[in-house]
Amino acid sequence: MVKIGLEDLYTDIILDYAKNDRYKKEIPDALESEGKNLSCGDEITIYLKVEDNIIKEASFKGHGCIISQASAAMMCEYIEGKTVKQAERIFSEVIKMSQGKEYDEELIDGMDIFSDISKFPMRTKCFTLSWHTLEDALKKEKGS
Amino acid sequence: MLSSKEYERLFPSLNRKINGHNLIYLDNAATTLRPKEVMDAVNDYSLNHHANVHRSTHTLAAEATQMYESSREKVAKFINADNNEIIFTKGTTESINLLAYSIATSKILRPDEEILITTMEHHANFVPWQQVGKIFGLNVRYYNCKNGIFNLSEFLDYVSEKTKVVSITGLSNTTGQVIPVQDLVEAIRNIRKEVIIIIDGAQTVPHMPFDVKKIDIDFLAFSGHKMLGPTGIGVLYGKKEYLEEINPFLFGGEMIDKVSTENTTFNILPYKFEAGTPNVDGAVGLAKAIEILENIGMDNIQEHEKELTNYAIERLKRLDFLTLYGTLDESQQSIVSFNLKNIHPHDVAHMLNDLTGIAIRSGHHCAQPLMSELGVKATCRASFYIYNEEKDIDILYDGLKKIWEWLK
Ligand SMILES: Cc1ncc(COP(=O)(O)O)c(C=O)c1O
Repeated sequence: MVKIGLEDLYTDIILDYAKNDRYKKEIPDALESEGKNLSCGDEITIYLKVEDNIIKEASFKGHGCIISQASAAMMCEYIEGKTVKQAERIFSEVIKMSQGKEYDEELIDGMDIFSDISKFPMRTKCFTLSWHTLEDALKKEKGS
Repeated sequence: MLSSKEYERLFPSLNRKINGHNLIYLDNAATTLRPKEVMDAVNDYSLNHHANVHRSTHTLAAEATQMYESSREKVAKFINADNNEIIFTKGTTESINLLAYSIATSKILRPDEEILITTMEHHANFVPWQQVGKIFGLNVRYYNCKNGIFNLSEFLDYVSEKTKVVSITGLSNTTGQVIPVQDLVEAIRNIRKEVIIIIDGAQTVPHMPFDVKKIDIDFLAFSGHKMLGPTGIGVLYGKKEYLEEINPFLFGGEMIDKVSTENTTFNILPYKFEAGTPNVDGAVGLAKAIEILENIGMDNIQEHEKELTNYAIERLKRLDFLTLYGTLDESQQSIVSFNLKNIHPHDVAHMLNDLTGIAIRSGHHCAQPLMSELGVKATCRASFYIYNEEKDIDILYDGLKKIWEWLK
């Protein structure tokens, strides 16, 4: 078995996403959802602008570690332009990936730079925080 | 102090490799490593002497009872209390909850009297008072530790004829600031004699000599697992007169005297506060842990940790990408808390683990009011114990430099 090291988690791509401020902003009049990791004190707010069932714009605010920030930025980039239904499917495949289960690689193509996250159980929740917050936002959207 | 070889023999975890590196355990404020001797004592009790205590008349029951009560005696001697002033609990958290509820239900406070706590407390000494205050309509005041630092004279401005209970940590689990408990007690009693003074000793009792009679405090809470003992065992010390005055917290078996459908009277101290089958394994383990600490000597432990803390502060100060929190002087012991500029503590903790085998804690340390005072969400915390050495801090120093180079 190939040993998974820190370099596989803190890749240059992930470090770049963590530093990228493009998706780090509030969107006025957007759908909002807040998520927290109680044990570490990390908080995130996701903003979704949905029109005709399509996610026109996504962004986030909050603070957290590199993994959580990169995950949130990549998520926003990934779901923009997708329908709510597609986003739900993407969410469920991402969660499977984070748990080390089989997942649909095609559906979340590009997200595989995080595919080793399941090997770092203490960090999985950093990665999934933004995704669970998204799930919550999508539920709100469907409820509205 | 013992040599590192002797510690490696005493603590099997110290022989572990973490990602190819020797484990360097700097998370002692969370819990300390386990000595083999402590687990041997627990095993011996479990395998050969286990029975319920105080109830049956057979041999095993007599042995178990004797072991449990001799553990109590050991704890009492360790902090210079009387045996019946030692109540075994699950830990500091349970000890303080017990106290908060018992004080509240005993109606000890007049309507205008106050409970005084600080913003440097661990949630275990913050939330119970706040919540009991809300439930029972008691006044709770908060002394604000500006910049996360406790200042005795500022604190004393909060103490008045209205102050009835003061509950405060003896050593901040985040900044490592040691509260001058002796001076504090004298000063409070000068303002008002009958204040009930409670010390959260979770970070104090494991790290320095502590004499409840000499310091003249009324209650002391601490946990076994932060001083080499097992989890699930802790202590509440209380002055006899108060323990007799306040109501029990848990009701049930063993804590009773006479029960009828009309009424119940309670057992004598300390059993009045120990309802149900106690954690005998834990008590036996804790007694063995205290024996180990006494053999090293609490004075030696304190001196060793002061030196280490000092060394850590001096070294880490040299890293210009790092912010250190706390007093950074001789009033700090056992703990250093810090952040790397713009880097989240979780990343630092994970990288230290994988790159150097160092275990530290990252997060809010169950002290969110203190975090707000420090103006941060979380910090990295390195905390020391008997088996740590200067070499560990050198490796920490090098590790932090590497992480900074990588992530800056
Ligand atoms: C100062 C302080 N008080 C209370 C506690 C709670 O101790 P326990 O979790 O053992 O009940 C801790 C543990 O972190 C602590 O550091």
